[in-house]
Amino acid sequence: MKVAIIGGGVIGLSTAYFLAREGADVTVFEQKYLLYGASGRNSGGITAMHDNEAMIELAKRSIELYEVLPSEVDFNFLFRQDGYIKVAATGDDFEALKEEVRLQNSLGVKSRIIDAYEVKDFIPDFNEESIIGGAYEPSGGVIFPWPVIWGLAKGCRELGVEIRDNTEVKEILVENGRVEGVVAGDETFRAEYVVNAAGAWSNRISSMAGVELDNKIIKEEICVTESLKPYLNQYLLDITTGVYLSQSMRGEIVGGILGSEADNLSTSSTLDFVFRYSRRAIELIPKLKGLALLRQWAGVYDEGKDGLPVVGETKIDGFIQANGFGKAGMSVGPAVGEELAKLILKGKSEKLAVFNPERF
Amino acid sequence: MKDRRIVCRCEDLTEEEIIHAIEEGYDNLESLKRYTGATTGSCQGKGCLMHIIRILSQKTGKSPDEIGLTTQRPPVNPVPLFLLAEGDEK
Repeated sequence: MKVAIIGGGVIGLSTAYFLAREGADVTVFEQKYLLYGASGRNSGGITAMHDNEAMIELAKRSIELYEVLPSEVDFNFLFRQDGYIKVAATGDDFEALKEEVRLQNSLGVKSRIIDAYEVKDFIPDFNEESIIGGAYEPSGGVIFPWPVIWGLAKGCRELGVEIRDNTEVKEILVENGRVEGVVAGDETFRAEYVVNAAGAWSNRISSMAGVELDNKIIKEEICVTESLKPYLNQYLLDITTGVYLSQSMRGEIVGGILGSEADNLSTSSTLDFVFRYSRRAIELIPKLKGLALLRQWAGVYDEGKDGLPVVGETKIDGFIQANGFGKAGMSVGPAVGEELAKLILKGKSEKLAVFNPERF
Repeated sequence: MKDRRIVCRCEDLTEEEIIHAIEEGYDNLESLKRYTGATTGSCQGKGCLMHIIRILSQKTGKSPDEIGLTTQRPPVNPVPLFLLAEGDEK
């Protein structure tokens, strides 16, 4: 079976990997270089603390896969499972955390509500007055997104997947309601399945197949400070302000603010972002104030109109959506790839059913 | 002892390591930067970018113009967070 995957990010490469492991003949088309899109621009927060049952299941499975895939592909993903902390600065947000933790616990996730002083047990310099309460999940933590992509790409290539970078898909071939392949660069590739894993570019790709897709485009900014010795173990997200930060394996404090909807795909940086981020980061952990900011950047990703991913078959036979993951792409990517391989090879994936593109 | 020509002092990278990465297939500037960490340390490329471009040019035969520069990202110089926190959106 021949499959063309559009997008060389965590979703596209995971899908390619699991398909190739079952013997499929897979080609991945990446318009720029690997890491150009959101999979190369995110902060690597990994958690099963989601507020939707299907997302929680995919995230749980992905954490298991992140534990085994590095040895399978012989590439260290630098996944540090020191835990993921969400904090809330308003009563309403804290109530929302309590509710999602109840759902997570019912599905076997070992998240728990913690008070402001318990956050200090994890992060000694944390300012307990900056929040009302939080939630902690021990199996999550920080992954380095770059080696995830390099490692998946290595695993794919060793299974015979061809990864064509700097190769933009210009046309999707459809005949009698069935996908026939893609035109990329100046070549035609025949394929029985075409997977749209193009992230923020998915709406455009979908329209090439004549399939309507109206994912929201989200722009998010991130910055990085100079390096420190190991200081901050957990990934910290303040759900009230959207400010998050963690320490990378290289020692930098990597942080950002959850993105907001954009009407274009620009990845320009703003001064406003670093002002807002610095202010809240210092409120949360005052000792960070003397750290120097080295670099800032931005990325774009897409999100289904109802906030959930868009994954599955469409009205065009063989044209498969795998996009709209919002900020959860890294957290659920491996399991999505595993499930999509089932969907394509065996015709069914129960775990993906709720993300059916035809639900809108 | 083998010669160690340091080309990136922040990330402690030698010329041999850059060449190894290029041979591994990270042979465009943006990928080479990410794979080796060159230009992402405290100098943000001010001390090493030209060396990296030179090595890439020698290994691939591309001219420095063809290789281009990495995306230049703010700030120009490191700025402490407490100063940025005083910033006014307007």
